[in-house]
Amino acid sequence: MHPAGSAAGTPRQPSKRRIPVSHLGMADPHQLFDDTSSAQSQGYGAQRGPSGLGYPTASASPQAAFLADPVSNMAMAYGSSLAAQGKELVDKNIDRFIPVTKLKYYFAVDTLYVGKKLGLLFFPYLHQDWEVQYQQDTPVAPRFDVNAPDLYIPAMAFITYVLVAGLALGTQDRFSPDLLGLQASSALAWLTLEVLAILLSLYLVTVNTDLTTIDLVAFLGYKYVGMIGGILMGLLFGKIGYYLVLGWCCMSIFVFMIRTLRLKILAEAAAEGVPVRGARNQLRMYLTMAVAAAQPLLMYWLTFHLVR
Amino acid sequence: MFVWGESEGELGINFDHIWQKTLTVLNPLKPADGSIMNETDLAGPILFCVALGATLLLAGKVQFGYIYGMSGIGCLGIYALLNLMSSSGVSYGCVASVLGYCLLPMVILSGSAVFFSLQGMIGTVLALVIIVWCSLSASKIFISALDMEGQQLLVAYPCALLYGLFALLTVF
Repeated sequence: MHPAGSAAGTPRQPSKRRIPVSHLGMADPHQLFDDTSSAQSQGYGAQRGPSGLGYPTASASPQAAFLADPVSNMAMAYGSSLAAQGKELVDKNIDRFIPVTKLKYYFAVDTLYVGKKLGLLFFPYLHQDWEVQYQQDTPVAPRFDVNAPDLYIPAMAFITYVLVAGLALGTQDRFSPDLLGLQASSALAWLTLEVLAILLSLYLVTVNTDLTTIDLVAFLGYKYVGMIGGILMGLLFGKIGYYLVLGWCCMSIFVFMIRTLRLKILAEAAAEGVPVRGARNQLRMYLTMAVAAAQPLLMYWLTFHLVR
Repeated sequence: MFVWGESEGELGINFDHIWQKTLTVLNPLKPADGSIMNETDLAGPILFCVALGATLLLAGKVQFGYIYGMSGIGCLGIYALLNLMSSSGVSYGCVASVLGYCLLPMVILSGSAVFFSLQGMIGTVLALVIIVWCSLSASKIFISALDMEGQQLLVAYPCALLYGLFALLTVF
């Protein structure tokens, strides 16, 4: 039992000293529990007496006596190694499905960047330079360049949209907590559908872009900001406010998407801004326009039922 | 023979630390010490959750299921976000502990709901103030413990969303 115990556990709690039963010459080391039922225990107690002096130095707390028992020590060591293994397994598997290090790039934001980006989403007309800065072949973190896509704003906007939708339904007395779940699932489904549709069309058009899936999700998530603005205005000022703000946000997101996607999809020609020639580039331009035009449509579709 | 530990160390609950963390929460404007979150303890948060449930019960709303569900999912979300945003990772226990401690002002809100209804203008303003208070404290502790600069408002926003849900539960 002892060799197995010391082999199985690696991190031991240094504060709780283990007193091996065999050293005190007490009961049979293979006995799993103290047999207090018979006179055996008297002998146990008597033998303990003289070596009772050893106990105070071991530990002052009564729990140490419980943990001095090699079985529970082994169990604890096994349990902690199992937990460590489980955590490793979870980490490995999560890494397989969700590329955590790549995602970290998209969350390297700070308050200034978020403020500037939100301003850009509502008023993109004066911004001149839409190119993402590169640093030795890798794009610079969003913290340092306002043109870089990030996932913080889309994620927060999505969650806020679900909550604001719940709020809107609540003011119309149509709220129940499972409706929140329903709203969240349907918005997520629409987003997934959109991403898949665009990926499919990019594949069909055989365009070579450096537009990764995560980038695409980030860009498609920016429209939720406008949707939230529209719904909030609709709650405060009725249908007129809703249509005004939604109209403005639709225009802004259209311009924003065109200017951003142009650089990603129409890579070579767009940099100079010259009119593109050839069927391939025309196809890319149509694709960009289609993606940008889909945004306002989806913004309207996902919000009109919330504002009465 | 087996005496239940009379000192706090026996039960593993350190009352002095709990009190210190509570004071940090109650004063959101004072900068926090980064080392207070080194030991994760859930005793304080569990106490505050139970207190919240109790005050809600006194006000006539039996919604323990929603409290547990929302806190679990909210903690998970903020755990994921903080792990992605900070350079050093954070454990789930630490996130749950901080969020639980910063729930204390919400207990005050639901306590006051027992005495007067919160559905008017005063209730809304009070709820907003409490939400801001909770999220500022939580983000302050997270920022100092995880050493993130320039991101306090970014961390405060999702915390505000979570506490807003709790406030909704309390007010409606």
